[in-house]
Amino acid sequence: MLLGLTSASRGLVWQSWDDVYLVYQPSSTETHVFNDTTTLILKCLGQGELSQEGVKSWTEAALGVGQGELDADEFAFAVGRLEELGLIERSEELIAI
Amino acid sequence: MLVGDLSRRELAGRLASAGLGVQFGPFNLTVRSDLGSFASLAHHLYELYPLLDAEAISDFHVQIASPRGLRRLRKWVRPQACFSVDGQSIFAPYRADHAFPALEWGINWCVATRAHHLLMLHSAVVERNGHAMVFPAWPGHGKSTLCAALTHSGWRLLSDEFGLVRPEDGLLLPVPRLISLKDASIDVIRRFRPEAVIGPLFYGTRKGTVAHVRPPAESIRRAQEPARPRWFIFPRWTADAAFTLEPMPKSQAFLMVATNAFNYDVLDEIAFRLVADMVRVCDCYSLRYSDLNEAVTALEKLSGSIDG
Repeated sequence: MLLGLTSASRGLVWQSWDDVYLVYQPSSTETHVFNDTTTLILKCLGQGELSQEGVKSWTEAALGVGQGELDADEFAFAVGRLEELGLIERSEELIAI
Repeated sequence: MLVGDLSRRELAGRLASAGLGVQFGPFNLTVRSDLGSFASLAHHLYELYPLLDAEAISDFHVQIASPRGLRRLRKWVRPQACFSVDGQSIFAPYRADHAFPALEWGINWCVATRAHHLLMLHSAVVERNGHAMVFPAWPGHGKSTLCAALTHSGWRLLSDEFGLVRPEDGLLLPVPRLISLKDASIDVIRRFRPEAVIGPLFYGTRKGTVAHVRPPAESIRRAQEPARPRWFIFPRWTADAAFTLEPMPKSQAFLMVATNAFNYDVLDEIAFRLVADMVRVCDCYSLRYSDLNEAVTALEKLSGSIDG
């Protein structure tokens, strides 16, 4: 399974202060409060679709923590929240023939 | 021409017929009333407000008047007053002797539910030397008391209730209406500035005992001069609390301002950008106080730090 951004993630308006990211989502007209992990997941997927494991590794590197050190529950919660908001989605992995 | 240029009889006549056209900052109102006690009080407390020109268009037509069907029953039914806007009754009737505060609340309701061309913060706002200090707060947190004290200490009143932000340039528009005080805060302001013009006490209203402070003439005269936001102060009056004025993280200030606005959800992205812009340029503080003099002195010192 791959994770990728949805069309709803386009046009997000960002404002960051004090390690907190305030994000306005035009598609839902909602304002969200994201932490570093959630923000980095979106940033990672902005470069293209990636497996969940790949996103976690990229996020750990960006956070400056060792591989496997990002709490799995925290990561899963952030992914779940972004899916709930309609900002990311899962898709079947393409198999090269 | 000001309301006070009319005789009391002329004012009562206008109220009872075509209506009294009054300008409150960016809003033009036509007020009608058949209640003699209301006319007398309006003449005193609205004295300094400008009358509308004959050709001006009113944003709201409001009325505080005796309910029609009850006139013949006055002998048996306690006198009542109904607030209506554009001919529609909005609230349950009030006691007739509460007509004045009922009209003031009704005007607030009109602004809060209709002025969606502006971002409306639930805030008091005062200004000095071109810099506005905004006090977003929930009812009971002491914003009106603080606002009344500051406007009688050299600050200009923009509003004790609405932080009106103009989307085009992010400036705060004045709407220097009467400052509504409740319960103990009335005596606090009487002691703080004995010369303040305060209307009569209205006992047993839906909001307790209330009284209205007329803003200083300078604030009303400059009602068309907007101001640039410079500080967000989140006040909290607590009996016997030690005074504190502490910087607040901007992310927290953003959330408090956004959730406190009357129409953040209506303006969507415009509101997000306006609040973010304001918080970015403002210093944000949390204020806890019990002594009004201490709070006023500290805020004057804070403003003085940039006045030079």
